[in-house]
Amino acid sequence: LNAAPRRAPRQQVRFLPSPAPGGGGAVELVPARVPVLADHPLVRGPRFRRLKIGTGHQLDVKSSGVLVLGIGHGNKLLTDLYNCHLTKVYTVSGLFGKATDDFSDTGKLIEKTTFDHITREKLERIVAVIQGTNHKALLMYSNIDMKTQEAYELAVKGLIRPMEKSPPIITAIRCLHFALPEFQLEIQCLHETQQYLRKIVHEIGLELKSSAVCTQVRRTRDGVFTLGDALPRTQWDLRSIQDAIRNCRLKVKTELQKTL
Amino acid sequence: AMAGALRALRAPGATRPLLRRGLRGTAGPPSARQLREAEEATPVFQYAGKAARRKDRVFVWGFSYSGALGVPSFVKPDAGWKKPRRVQPTPYRLETEEKISSAACGYGFTLLASNTTDITKVWGMGLNKDSQLGFQRSRRDQTKGYEYVLEPSPIPLPLEKPQQTRVLQVSCGRAHSLVLTDSEGVFTMGNNSYGQCGRKVVEDEIYSESHLIHQLNEFDSRVVQVVCGQDHSLFRTKKGAVYACGWGADGQTGLGHYNITSVPTKLCGDIAGVNIIQVSSYGDCCLAVSDEGEVFGWGNSEYLQLASVTETTQVNVPRHLPFKIGKIKEAACGGTGNAVLTEEGNIFVWGYGILGKGPNLIETAVPEMIPPSLFGWSDFNSDIRVAHVRCGLSQFAALTNRGELFVWGKNLRGCLGTGRMEDQYFPWRVTVPGEVVDVACGVDHMVSMVKSF
Repeated sequence: LNAAPRRAPRQQVRFLPSPAPGGGGAVELVPARVPVLADHPLVRGPRFRRLKIGTGHQLDVKSSGVLVLGIGHGNKLLTDLYNCHLTKVYTVSGLFGKATDDFSDTGKLIEKTTFDHITREKLERIVAVIQGTNHKALLMYSNIDMKTQEAYELAVKGLIRPMEKSPPIITAIRCLHFALPEFQLEIQCLHETQQYLRKIVHEIGLELKSSAVCTQVRRTRDGVFTLGDALPRTQWDLRSIQDAIRNCRLKVKTELQKTL
Repeated sequence: AMAGALRALRAPGATRPLLRRGLRGTAGPPSARQLREAEEATPVFQYAGKAARRKDRVFVWGFSYSGALGVPSFVKPDAGWKKPRRVQPTPYRLETEEKISSAACGYGFTLLASNTTDITKVWGMGLNKDSQLGFQRSRRDQTKGYEYVLEPSPIPLPLEKPQQTRVLQVSCGRAHSLVLTDSEGVFTMGNNSYGQCGRKVVEDEIYSESHLIHQLNEFDSRVVQVVCGQDHSLFRTKKGAVYACGWGADGQTGLGHYNITSVPTKLCGDIAGVNIIQVSSYGDCCLAVSDEGEVFGWGNSEYLQLASVTETTQVNVPRHLPFKIGKIKEAACGGTGNAVLTEEGNIFVWGYGILGKGPNLIETAVPEMIPPSLFGWSDFNSDIRVAHVRCGLSQFAALTNRGELFVWGKNLRGCLGTGRMEDQYFPWRVTVPGEVVDVACGVDHMVSMVKSF
C-alpha cells in the first residue's frame, strides 16, 4: 500500500529571491510555485503505518468459510451490518453413530450407537419440525404485536425478524446429502454460534434415537457476502482486496438503505 | 562388611528410579493408536431397531373443567400439590387403550372411536347431561348416571354383531352424537328435542340418564359420512345423496321448509343428482362438495356465508356457490366463517369473524385466499401444501402434507393450543411432538391424532 503512488504534494506560491534582470547585486522577489516541504515523502514518512481491521460475525477455530473483515471506515459499516440482523447460511456435515463431549468428531467419545434404522425420510421429518419450532420462535422474538395488520403483512412476506439480541434461531434448514453414516445439512440462521450448530447436529441424532457428531461447519453466506465474494488464501494480495472491496460496496450500501 | 553388603544389594537396582517400582509403562497423553483402540472397544448401544414402528398418539388441549379433555387430574387433582387446571393451553398427551381412528368434539364433550373388532369401540368424555355419551352408570349409586364424565369411558352400543362390526366415524353436535358403523347403520344418542337423533320427538322427554340409543338404517345406500350441526344431523350416503334431520329454523336441514324434521329425509335443490363426496357443518350453516369440485351451501347466512348467491339470511334449499377458485377438494363450515381447500393445496376463507388474513379482514362474502407462505411455503420448501382443513365454532385448523398443524381464530379458553390466550389473526403453528394425522375442533377444546416420529 505504501508503495502506491501518493497524492501530489501541495503547491504554494512563494516569493523567491532571484537576481534582477537589470544590474548585478539587486535582488527581486519573483513569485514561483513550489511544493510545500512539509508534504515531501521524506518528511512525512510512509502513508500507512497502522491499519484498523475489524471482523464481522465470529468464526470458530474448527469451522471454515466466509469471514467478513472491515478496514478503516469499514468498521463502522460492520456495526451497521450487525444491526441489520441478516441471516447466515452454513453447510454442516455430520456423522451418525458417535456421541462426543463437544459434539464434534475430535472430542472425547461418550457413546456409540447403531444407526441403520435411520432413513432420509425420518431425517427430513425431524428437520421439518426443527424448522417449524424455530419459525415460531422467530415470530415470538421479533417483538411485534401479533394482532396488528402490519404483523400479518410482514408474516406473509416472511420479513418478520428479531431486530435485537435474541437466542439463536434457525430460519431454514434442509438436508443436502444423505449417505449413511454421513449426512449434510444446509442451515440458515440468526444470532448463532458454530457450537450451537454442532449441538443441533447432536440433538438431531438424539431425536432419531441414535447419536451424531458434527464433522464440518462451513459458512457459505454472511448477510450479503457469499462464497463468490470471498478471497481464498492464494488471493490475499492488495489488488484482489481492492477489487473485492469495490465490488461489495454497492451491495452493502443497498442492503443498509433497505433495512435502516 | 556391612557397608559392602549394602553396596552389593544396591548395585543391581542402582540405575532404576525408585518411582517405577509399581507402574508399568509411561503415563502421558494417549497416542492416536491407543485412542482408536479405546474407541473400538466401547460398547455400541441400540435404542431403536430397524423394525421400530411409529406409535399412534392422541393429544388434547383446551378447556378442561367440562371433562372434555379426558384427564381427571385437571378437574379433580389426585395429589395434594396438584392444582386444578382450568385450561390446557398446549397439547397434552392422552393415554388411550386402543389406536383411535376417529375423534369428534362437541359442545363440552368428546367422542373417540377406534375401528377395532373388540367389544369396546367408542369412548366418550365430558358433558353428559343429555346422555350424549350414552348411559354412564355411576359407581356410587347404581341407579344413577354421571353428569360429567372425566375420563374416556366406553359407550355401550346395542350392536347385533359386536365382534364383527367396526365403527368408521363419530360426530358430535351441541347435545347429541352420531356413531357410524360399517354394517349396522348409524347410532344416535343425546338430546332429541328437535328430532336431531332421527327419531320422533317425545314431549317432555327427560334426556339425562337415558339408556336410549336409536339406530338408523333406512337410507338409499350405505351411509359413509355423518356430520352434526348444532341441533341437526346430516348423513351422506355412498350414492352421493345427503339426508338431514333436526332443527330447521335457519334452513339448515335444507328440505325446503323451516320446521323440525325427526326422520332423515333426502335433500333436493341444487344437489339433486349430484354425487356429493363431502359434507361439513358445525353451527347452523352447511356446505357440501361434489366430486367435480363444486361447492353447495344451505342454512344460516346471517354472516354472509351464502351472500354470494342470495340476499336472504336463511336458505332452506341447497344452492350452488359459483366460486371461480379452482377445483375444491374439501370444505369446512364453522359457526360464522367457512373455509375450503382447493386441489392445489390453497385455503380460501369467507364469512364473518377472524378469518385468518389479519385483523382487518372481518367479513367477506367472496372467498379470499390465505397466502401459502403463512403455512411454511417458501422458495426453500416449495412443496408444502395444505392437506386438510377443519373448523370449530370460531376457529380454523389446517393440516399440511408435512404433518404440521396450523390454527387461527378466536382463542376461546385456550382452544387453539398455541400456549397463549390471545386470539390468532393469521395461521400459527401448534407444536405437537409428532406428525399430525387428523384434528377435531370443538367450541373450546381440540383433539388431534398424531403419529410419533
